[in-house]
Amino acid sequence: MKAEVREIKAEGWVCGKCQEPLRQLPVEITYMGSSFQVELPRCPVCGFTFIPPDLAYGKMREVEKLLEDK
Amino acid sequence: MQQQTLKQFEAQCIQDEPPACQTMCPLHVEARSIAALAGQGKWNDARKLLERSMPLVSVSAYLCEGPCRDHCRRAELDEGVNLPMLERLCVMNGRAVKTMPLPPSGKKVAIAGGGLSSLAVAWELGRKGHLATIFHSGPIGGGLNWLDEKRLPREALTAALGQLSSVRVTVETHSFSKDWLNEILENFNAVYLGLDDETFTPADLGLSESQVFPDYLTMGTSLERVFAGPADSGGQGRLFINQLAGAKRAAGSIDRILQGVSAASARDMEDIYPTRLYTSLEEIEVCHEQLLADKWQPTDAEGRAEGARCIQCQCLECVKRCIFLKHYKGYPKKYGREIYNNLSVVHGQRRANTMINSCAQCGLCREICPLDADMGDFTAKARREMTATNRMPPSAHEFALEDMVYSNHPSVAFTRHAPGAGKSEWLFFPGCQLPATLPEATMSVYQHLRANLGEVGFLMSCCGAPAKWSGRPRLTGSVAGAIKTKWQEMGRPKMILACSSCALFFKEELAAIPYSTLWDVLAELPAPPSSLAAPTALALHDPCAARHDEKTRNSVRQLLKNIGQLIEELPLGGQLTRCCGYGGLASAANPEVGELYAMDRAKDTGLVMASYCAMCRDKLREVEKPSLHLLDLLFPGGSIEDAASRPAPGISDRQEARLNFRRAILSEIWNETEPSSMENLKINIDEALLPVLESRRILRSDIQDVLKEARDNGPQFFNPDSDVYLTSLRPRQVTFWVQYTMADDGSYNIHDAYCHRMVAPATPGQGADSPASLEGYAAKGGRI
Repeated sequence: MKAEVREIKAEGWVCGKCQEPLRQLPVEITYMGSSFQVELPRCPVCGFTFIPPDLAYGKMREVEKLLEDK
Repeated sequence: MQQQTLKQFEAQCIQDEPPACQTMCPLHVEARSIAALAGQGKWNDARKLLERSMPLVSVSAYLCEGPCRDHCRRAELDEGVNLPMLERLCVMNGRAVKTMPLPPSGKKVAIAGGGLSSLAVAWELGRKGHLATIFHSGPIGGGLNWLDEKRLPREALTAALGQLSSVRVTVETHSFSKDWLNEILENFNAVYLGLDDETFTPADLGLSESQVFPDYLTMGTSLERVFAGPADSGGQGRLFINQLAGAKRAAGSIDRILQGVSAASARDMEDIYPTRLYTSLEEIEVCHEQLLADKWQPTDAEGRAEGARCIQCQCLECVKRCIFLKHYKGYPKKYGREIYNNLSVVHGQRRANTMINSCAQCGLCREICPLDADMGDFTAKARREMTATNRMPPSAHEFALEDMVYSNHPSVAFTRHAPGAGKSEWLFFPGCQLPATLPEATMSVYQHLRANLGEVGFLMSCCGAPAKWSGRPRLTGSVAGAIKTKWQEMGRPKMILACSSCALFFKEELAAIPYSTLWDVLAELPAPPSSLAAPTALALHDPCAARHDEKTRNSVRQLLKNIGQLIEELPLGGQLTRCCGYGGLASAANPEVGELYAMDRAKDTGLVMASYCAMCRDKLREVEKPSLHLLDLLFPGGSIEDAASRPAPGISDRQEARLNFRRAILSEIWNETEPSSMENLKINIDEALLPVLESRRILRSDIQDVLKEARDNGPQFFNPDSDVYLTSLRPRQVTFWVQYTMADDGSYNIHDAYCHRMVAPATPGQGADSPASLEGYAAKGGRI
């Protein structure tokens, strides 16, 4: 069964710890020894990264598959 | 993988073998493809194909006698495809192919005689760039000039001469003598004597018949550089097609010696040979050959109809019956090459990974294949190599293996002698899935066994089959070893196995342990008093793991007979049964293809299906097929209709059911009460979200873990406009996210949950980036 992926927009969210609104900031994400510099919504204070479902099942899933088959 | 392994596998798959019409044609004309093109009226393309194997088509196509017709599979039903008629149409309706000869080689060949074989030899040599000269004293074409005009139109000979001059063949009139031969041998590199031209004999050249009698394969004579033909000279019955084949062999030999290569080596495939290709006539209907209005002047429509009669021989026996083989649009030989290449990739994508992991390894292809080609065995080898070289995609099997680790965790698995007994004569092993889907019936069958057999102990764990399917021999060995240890501790009782996959695994990995299947044991006992029979016949589905377990299959049928249950055998049942998709972890690695297996199986019958494997029953039910487990009949928990429509439990349900089963059976039979080990938060999940979580393989326990993280360390994100929280946790090689709101009673309303494998920095949890070995994971007891 292909589940429908609900989008979550980063606007309106704040960091639970710092109460700061999120901002598009560079971050390094890694998998299977490879790392990528991307811009994602993060807390500008503690740096916590916000990953919405459409990213998890979209671009991220694609890259995971590519790296797993490499 | 050794190349030898691939070669052996490839040799077993005969799909690429040419059909009989081609192998038994002296010229190896690609009759099957020509017929296909003729069926579409594509005469230009058909002629082009014919020219590839038939020399001097403009005349030869009228002469072929069609020996292929006797070897055509259609001849077994009605009449072999009339290829000579199609060949005639190729020349009549197809455009002549413009032949470009190879650049001149500077070698000269003299050809004595103007008969068919001489023309064909000249053509073949001219194409290869040699300078061929035909010497003749009678008419060009020799005996062909005496053929009926309808059989061979005279303009065909004219066209043939045109074809010859296009490859630089020259024609000279000359009389033959001993001196001529000597002069020729001095000035030419090789000679061909075309003795089908009856205007000269060997004696005219000062030679005896035996001196020029050609060798069958090379057409060489006892004289150096002298070749002769035709192939089956003499006699009324000689065939033009054999003469042409002989001429082709002679030209081949001459070309070889002109290049300084042996004329005889490696030529055995040039002769006719029986094909290895198997073609079933099962679904082929009788379709007689049309009577032609004029045998020598067939029409386009007649040719199309005749071409369409060709059944396009191919094997594909396994592909017709296996949805996995069909899905990837190939056949074992092709897949073997893809898998081999996939394993050999140094840089770049391994595109066959998912295909390799989608095979159910159920063994059906091997049963069907005339040469026992076994995709399951081949993909198993590939998977072992992938795990050994750390090339197995972590997402393929990790989830299934975690489930196995869960089943074997000390808080789920257990071993007991029967209450009050200090030893066990028998040890009941229901496997991991039966207690997860039919916990009450599992308990009932255990009670039934105890009532009839006495000292029956209980061992609950997973056998280790998932580890084996995933291509991990070390993990397989450690799980099997743990079972062996428990069996020894229990005093080496005879085991009773409820699952066919367990039984196959015991046979292959735990040969020292004596066992009977549950069904063999039950068939010998009185039927349980609770037994019910369905009012109508059930279609009996054998699990693929029971393919070679005839005894168990018979016991099941006996049991059903004992309780008065009517059954219908499936066309692909028993030894030829099909897999539900769970086998080989196909549905774990590739849920889409996994579902296709079950849907394909469900289509085999309109009846309610009955099986004696918990996973088969549930997989069929997942695709909406009403289906029962044998225990639903022997130890019913309600009506048969309800049992047939009972939904298959989800993965979370299964894990919770195992834990609950343990608690219930220990309490009921052994009077042991276990403290509830889990501290659970109260969560509310909308019905509609459950199948989404199932397909994303997110367990309720995963959600619990994330919420505990949020409770203990605070939620990571908050949306003040909607009061929604979002928190993540990476307990293993997966990061889980849960989006939730707080209910007034302090419980959690789950809005969504999702997961990914990539790592963002600072995610709480233990899971590293690259996958830790599952062996290590198992040793730590896994997550629970």
